Amino acid sequence: MSTNPMHQFIVYRIGPEISLGNIDISFTNASLFMMISALAIISVFFAGTRRKAVIPTKIQLLTELSYTLVSKMISDTAGSKAKPYFPFIFSLFMFVLFCNMLGMLPYSFTVTSHIIVTFALAAIIFIGVTIIGFVNHGVGYLKLFIPSGVPVVLLPIIVIIEMISYLARPVSLSVRLFANMMAGHTMLKVFGGFVISLGIIGGWLPLSFTVALTGLEILIAFLQAYVFAILTCIYLNDALNLNH
Amino acid sequence: MKKFDVLSTRLKIAKKKANKNSLNNDKKNTSSLGAALKLSTEMVAAVFVGSIIGFILDNWFDSKPWLTIIFFFVGAAAGILNVIRSAKLMQKNND
Repeated sequence: MSTNPMHQFIVYRIGPEISLGNIDISFTNASLFMMISALAIISVFFAGTRRKAVIPTKIQLLTELSYTLVSKMISDTAGSKAKPYFPFIFSLFMFVLFCNMLGMLPYSFTVTSHIIVTFALAAIIFIGVTIIGFVNHGVGYLKLFIPSGVPVVLLPIIVIIEMISYLARPVSLSVRLFANMMAGHTMLKVFGGFVISLGIIGGWLPLSFTVALTGLEILIAFLQAYVFAILTCIYLNDALNLNH
Repeated sequence: MKKFDVLSTRLKIAKKKANKNSLNNDKKNTSSLGAALKLSTEMVAAVFVGSIIGFILDNWFDSKPWLTIIFFFVGAAAGILNVIRSAKLMQKNND
């Protein structure tokens, strides 16, 4: 075991090296944990929806609660028009949540602590939302960049500012998730390293910190998944209802 | 029969109370923590994107470093706009 706090983020290959042209598409530990989280989601929901009892079992309660949480989130932030996008937002929320939570297990790998993963998710959302906006409103979607009641003189600057703030969405979405996960896990590892270096006499204080931080990290893991999903809803709301 | 009626109304009231309490607490806790985590990245991302756009345009027009500098400030303005917008949204949600 290495005491380097960044060691936990190393991506390494599992199995043979596969390449497609110049691109390396080998199976890595990151792909392994993504698959594990996808399989975990499928099995939890399979177990939860297998028997539909009136008095739910714990696992059925879990699935029903998560359904209500996401469906309420969508109807609160994006309105009834966004109902067809429920499956996408639900899977997104569940995937991010499970990746974050699996990362909390010792010896596991946190997929969402890599910016390429979160940025890929955010880019899918950004492109998808832009397409939805143009499909629903045509060229009128560009009105998003022209706020109402702005004098004509200021218009060129305002349009540029609005465009930058639109383009900043995927960046802020991905950086937020990635930075929170990476900072949290690094901090946990640093305090864990203190426990070892201070030994049996002085190690108790950082150990108690580590325990407290683990609780905080679990909260953040949930919260970041929630924020990721709710921001997707807000962007979807802009694309569907255009009330800027 | 009357007993059942009484019980069901009492149950209804209790449910309503429980619902209200848990909802309020939930919303307050998650939204304020979410807000704290949200605002900082909003600002940084816009500045970052603005500077990158300025840098790319500089390479196109061979005008280093002027467009980078200008777009840095435009990006900062966009960041402030984003922060104000999401703060407004939070305020609306809290009410």
